[in-house]
Amino acid sequence: MPTPQTGLAGSRANQAGAVNPLPAPAGPAAVRRVHPLVELHTDRSVFEELVQKAERNGPWDDWTLFRLAREAEEASLVADFHELQSLRALPAFTPMKHQIETARRVIFEMHGRAILADEVGLGKTIEAGLILKEYWVRGLVKKALILVPASLVLQWVRELAQKFDLPAVAHKKPHSWKNDIVVASMDTAKREPNRSLLLAGEYDMLIVDEAHKLKNKKTSNYQFVSELRKKYCLLLTATPIQNDLNELYNLITLLKPGQLGGEGEFHANFVRGRRAVKNEDKLQENLGQLMIRNRRSDGGIKFTRRFVTNVPLRLSPEEMALYEGVTRYVKEHAWAENRDLASMLSLVTLQREVCSSRDAVFVTLVNLFKKTPEGSPLRARIWELVELIRQIKANTKAEKTMELIRQINDKTIVFTEYRLTQEYLLRFFREHGIQAVPYRGGMNRGKKDWMMDLFRRKAQVLVATEAGGEGINLQFCHHIINFDLPWNPMRVEQRIGRVHRLGQTEDVKIFNLCTLGTIEEHIVRLLHEKINLFESVFGELDDIVERLDKEESWERRVARVVLEAEGEEDLRRRMDQLADQVIAGKACAERGERP
Amino acid sequence: MNMKQVQKFVLTYLEATGCHIIEKSPNHITVKLSPAADRALTGRPFYWSFIDSTGTEPETLTYTWIFQRPEVPEAGVQATRLTSLLTPAGRVLREEIFFGSRRLNQIFDAVRQAGRHVTLFAEPPRAQRGALGSLPYSAWLGVNFKVGYECDVKKEELYGWGISLATGVIDENFWERVSQIRLTPRLPASVHLLPSTLSLKKGMAQLEQALEKKLKTQDFAWAEEAEKRRKEEQERLRHYYEPLLKKAQGNPEQESALQANWLKRAEEIDWQYRPRITVRVVNCGVFHLPGID
Repeated sequence: MPTPQTGLAGSRANQAGAVNPLPAPAGPAAVRRVHPLVELHTDRSVFEELVQKAERNGPWDDWTLFRLAREAEEASLVADFHELQSLRALPAFTPMKHQIETARRVIFEMHGRAILADEVGLGKTIEAGLILKEYWVRGLVKKALILVPASLVLQWVRELAQKFDLPAVAHKKPHSWKNDIVVASMDTAKREPNRSLLLAGEYDMLIVDEAHKLKNKKTSNYQFVSELRKKYCLLLTATPIQNDLNELYNLITLLKPGQLGGEGEFHANFVRGRRAVKNEDKLQENLGQLMIRNRRSDGGIKFTRRFVTNVPLRLSPEEMALYEGVTRYVKEHAWAENRDLASMLSLVTLQREVCSSRDAVFVTLVNLFKKTPEGSPLRARIWELVELIRQIKANTKAEKTMELIRQINDKTIVFTEYRLTQEYLLRFFREHGIQAVPYRGGMNRGKKDWMMDLFRRKAQVLVATEAGGEGINLQFCHHIINFDLPWNPMRVEQRIGRVHRLGQTEDVKIFNLCTLGTIEEHIVRLLHEKINLFESVFGELDDIVERLDKEESWERRVARVVLEAEGEEDLRRRMDQLADQVIAGKACAERGERP
Repeated sequence: MNMKQVQKFVLTYLEATGCHIIEKSPNHITVKLSPAADRALTGRPFYWSFIDSTGTEPETLTYTWIFQRPEVPEAGVQATRLTSLLTPAGRVLREEIFFGSRRLNQIFDAVRQAGRHVTLFAEPPRAQRGALGSLPYSAWLGVNFKVGYECDVKKEELYGWGISLATGVIDENFWERVSQIRLTPRLPASVHLLPSTLSLKKGMAQLEQALEKKLKTQDFAWAEEAEKRRKEEQERLRHYYEPLLKKAQGNPEQESALQANWLKRAEEIDWQYRPRITVRVVNCGVFHLPGID
């Protein structure tokens, strides 16, 4: 079979041997060879027009404009192969050193095809934008396609416009594809009729955000991206893809087939067992040629410090009575009646909710009551608990929070896990004259932006139920109160990451409310004292938790421990074991190994 | 281009296109565009075709251009910048202009379009004026070429060369020469034009030939390196696809799918790395200069 590349090279070699006739500018364009490897393409259409105008004796252009045209060409001249040209052409925005270095390496060492795998919060979007701008300024990219999750489309358009002044357009109608830089969701792009339109075209640059979704070769996303005709290509992912070597291999094949050898070779050279790696150094070296992963722990990336304060609280006797009532109920009924794990988990949720607010637990109890068949003795038990709620007149945690906010006397974000706690807190703050606005996942983009704007300009407090991966940046605020804590360390890190990120100029102060004598106390101890989550930026946390998650989700592990523990002492011991798994993973990561 | 140069460039453009400057300070300008500038910059083809077909008096737009780099609003926060103002004079659009901004790039494009062809005469030196007899002028073809060296990266050069249509002499510093003298679109008095021996086309052919000769003597290391990269990449592809094809033997469907994939990837690599030089005529003109070289 004539391999494709010999066919192409062959035809050009023949041309090289041809004799160059004397140039005769007969047409507006010509192709000639000036070196065995190099064709010279001449575009003299502007001269052709001069000849026509000379025959008609004009009309002639203005000499000043003629000179300005030359000046414009001088100003936009790319004078050097190896120097970033785009940096002088940005709005009032200076990328960080590691972002500039990443752009430089992608363009000059990786030749425009790379995986950008920075840890969350280091600015992958900015790196991609900078690379795109550089090619744009150089005239090497005239048409670009950017595929991102639907929720990020507008954000990408905005960032490219504001930070890079690039004319990016969100895909809305079939007509939108005609623009030079189009941002679209993967789902839209791969759907007909878009799919055929895009596959028929060609893109000087393709950028795929959240590229870890492309790890499976058989999915339609993968096939689609593989089939697109592209010159330069950036795949962005924060999720470590090194967990599963096959997934990694697939992603790299999308970018540069054969970078890790043929499929057989790859397995022979690098894979031992299902997931383990051999020849780690060699693999890393190979990966280093097309993947960049900046880490927070790398030198040169400056973060401000974090200060963590645990705020211990004693629940009022009425609140404690409810907590104990609920705990008893959970313990007694968790293992009874052959409950499945899912409903067991929801029972543990009850316990967590009591630690948050009576509002949160009330609705769950009422729902539980409704689900319990009439006549069941359980109904009376549940109703007793609801009665206990009625006894509660004040929320100890909310009062403490208000006290903290008054002391802080500055912008503060209060995070809670529960929507009903959020509503309660908003009401509570309003009654006490503190301006607070809500933020939650279900809001549409416009409302989120609006809330963010209100928080920035007017309100002192933002009460949020989600930290969201949607890239909300709140660097203007540096106080966080964790009204209650998610059990998953990743989600805790996400919360803090909204504030403690590049661009934060102040040290970040974090307060964890912790009700003594409840499971909350154990969780705070696990996350804070054992895993030491809050104080240091936990570089490899996402790796470790995801790896643990593969067997059983972290939340479930914790819930199981809570349910299975026999007494306080046992619970403490089991929690420590959980922590040890994370710590062991961290130690491995620090030594650069894979567990 | 620093901010001063940007400002000077924009002002020169506005004056050259006959725009009306309403207000000016060291770092901003408010300007009512001329019809010519409005057509080039406001992106209103339907409006202008309406004006042209009905003969209505056009109402051009007014801009306030601030010469500074705009602050980037914090991410996640909607930009609530004031972008237009209602004034007694009508609506005024506000924008920042800086090197790299879309508006400046658009003005660049506008001058590239509006400043392509000239025929000009050198103003005779003062001492010559009124002197008896007439001054002989010969015609030059002056061309600004933009040369691009492209592979996966790119570099550019500008050549402002001229050729005497009387003698065929080539001046590689022609642009420097003509940009330093006073030129006028009208034939000055007491000047006579010497006949040309070369047509514009022949002149151009000789200029291009000289440029090509120059380009051929340049260092082609960049192209050789790019070719090396291209070959390595193609080799890597072969290494990947050949075993797969072998495995797929006997399954024509799979085989042809693999071959199609291979071809596609191979074409992408050629597209990415193949070294090439592009020469584009930026603008050109006939310059009548004193004497004969």
